Amino acid sequence: MWRDSTSQGIRSGRRFVVIGNPGSPRIGLFDAALDRQGHPPAVLIPWLDWIEGRSHLSDILRRGDVLRIESPGRHFGTERAILACGSESAEADDCAFLSPAQVSALGFDKGRILCPRQWYLGFRLLLNRLKRELDELGMGSELVLMNDCDEIALMFDKPACHRAMTAAGIPVPSSLGQPSCYGELVTRMTEMDHLRVFVKLAHGSSGSGIVAYQTDGRRHLAWTTVETEAHSGRMQLYNTRKLQRLTSQSDIAGLIDALCKNRVHAERWIPKAGMDGMCFDLRAVVIAAAPAHVVARLSTSPVTNLHLLNQRRSAAVTRHRIGEEAWSAAMRTCAAAMRIAPKSLYGGIDLLVTPDFKRNAVLEINAFGDQLPGVLHNGLETYDAEIRALAAVRVVEGAIA
Amino acid sequence: MSIHENLTTFQGKNVEDFDPDQPLGDPRTVAYRIRLEWDEGNAGTKWVDKFAQLLEKPDSGKVESLVIGAWEEVGGGTDSASIVEALAAARDDLPGLKHLFFGDITSEESEISWIMQTDLSPIFEAHRQLEYVTIRGGGGLALGRVRHERLRELIIQSGGLPPQAIHDVLASDLPALEHLELWLGEPNYGGSATAEDLAPLLGGEQFPKLKYLGLKDSVIADELAGVLANSPILERLDVLDISMGTLGDEGARALLASSQISKLKKLDVHHHFISDELVAKLQSLGIDVDASDKQKPSEWRGEQHRFIAVSE
Repeated sequence: MWRDSTSQGIRSGRRFVVIGNPGSPRIGLFDAALDRQGHPPAVLIPWLDWIEGRSHLSDILRRGDVLRIESPGRHFGTERAILACGSESAEADDCAFLSPAQVSALGFDKGRILCPRQWYLGFRLLLNRLKRELDELGMGSELVLMNDCDEIALMFDKPACHRAMTAAGIPVPSSLGQPSCYGELVTRMTEMDHLRVFVKLAHGSSGSGIVAYQTDGRRHLAWTTVETEAHSGRMQLYNTRKLQRLTSQSDIAGLIDALCKNRVHAERWIPKAGMDGMCFDLRAVVIAAAPAHVVARLSTSPVTNLHLLNQRRSAAVTRHRIGEEAWSAAMRTCAAAMRIAPKSLYGGIDLLVTPDFKRNAVLEINAFGDQLPGVLHNGLETYDAEIRALAAVRVVEGAIA
Repeated sequence: MSIHENLTTFQGKNVEDFDPDQPLGDPRTVAYRIRLEWDEGNAGTKWVDKFAQLLEKPDSGKVESLVIGAWEEVGGGTDSASIVEALAAARDDLPGLKHLFFGDITSEESEISWIMQTDLSPIFEAHRQLEYVTIRGGGGLALGRVRHERLRELIIQSGGLPPQAIHDVLASDLPALEHLELWLGEPNYGGSATAEDLAPLLGGEQFPKLKYLGLKDSVIADELAGVLANSPILERLDVLDISMGTLGDEGARALLASSQISKLKKLDVHHHFISDELVAKLQSLGIDVDASDKQKPSEWRGEQHRFIAVSE
């Protein structure tokens, strides 16, 4: 577990290596942070090169290096390679899937949601391979890992995170499980008397594949970040920044059925508190077990994700609005939530505060949820704070001795 | 657009969520809100249970301002009947109740047009000291024919106000009423009233003390402006509020042509579809005009659509 420690930490002179996608803003932002903290730029191992065997960890990593695993997202070549890896498992898993031939024939189609369950299964296999290769290097504690392969896989699995948090006593909205179709969802909603629910792709990120659905048995209303398009008789799903509103039960059922083929996680829609005339939730980046950078994400719709271009408020403004007691409680919950991934130096927690400010609940944990450029905590951006934290922490039962 | 934030103040008082585990503060300086949060609903607690706990507190008899927040399964169709019953039964427990907000509920808790109200007349019959009442949610709403000597302000916020509720208000005997605000909403959500439904009001006989008239959030704002412009009631008003609706040039022209319009103290048309040219004319009437928040019609299937501020 990441803890403050007086033992020797990471001093300048260590070399940073990043597995990531070339051209990703995350890489440039991290290099800029390294520069500010007195380190040379990181050595980049492109995901695609590593996946396809053109780049080998053993050729690059040296004792004493720090390894950061970055998001493999927003890179079509990498996406295709991950999908190809997941093809076999996805077929066995009985979810929507594409054969390796279909994957290689794919052209870039902006915003299209491509078999996220298959993507996850492929990514999990790759994380397992990465973990194995790292073990085989035999560097032990002489290779410092900012992330943990198993924990990244966990954080990309919403139902598993929900189970882990429930087991740890962390407040979460009650789960309606992983319904296989709209009909099953409605049955569970009725059984549990939850007539307002969020249905999310089990392995979606950045607001992808979210439906906020409510019914009183007579009326139906859904807000969603998914746009559907019919292509030669088949429904294709696209992410959209313009929230869609559906009121026809058959449209809603069709959308949810399509999402269910990629596995969904359904949970109760708990009301969020408001400020400045909008509702909000919090994104808190927890670094070395301590809540650090926080922004409130404001919205006039139930969906608050940052990529939907919603407004933000600073930690200071939010803290003032909800009061000291509610703020401390929220930060305690974020820290507790991060303990389901104790070997990860950082993670992004999405947290709601209820309208009376007296309760909170964790909505999501994001393995790569630390990209908040311009947001400062103790004068540092997230990446700077992570690099600094390495200098002051050690891992118990983990990589740093 | 809809409502996303709970009240922070009501009638000049800070709103505080009632906590059964805490003593009451000074009930004259605080507006207590009773609400149920999700986990309380899970545990089987009902709104009326918390209300009963409020009444058990010493000093609860001094409460002047009460805010009714989300009740159990408010977004799932549970109506306010049990609350009305409990509040009416508390007639002697709350002898000083002057200010009531019935339904401080955000769209995160329930869309405004999904809030199910009921016949609220028992509250007016029981609480004769009430002066300011705001009701949110028009679904199932009825008021009976209220006879109330003290009521000075009545606001009904809705995404669609049923004609029956309007008939009830207009058939009520409210000699002290100074401020009347009705959010009419749109037909999809029950707001099917026409200008004819509002005719009894325009004659100017009713509500002798009325100074503020708001016919807001309406899809027939142009038509309403047309009939208001020439109606006797305009002579008695300080403020005419046709905001939040679909008011456009047609309504603006009717208002500009009225001989009475410049005798108002204030005209509120914010959230409107009026051209800049006519906005400028309204603003040169020599009265206070709020023409902020100009809207653009939305294009859909080749047609232009005007949306009101609060519906759903």
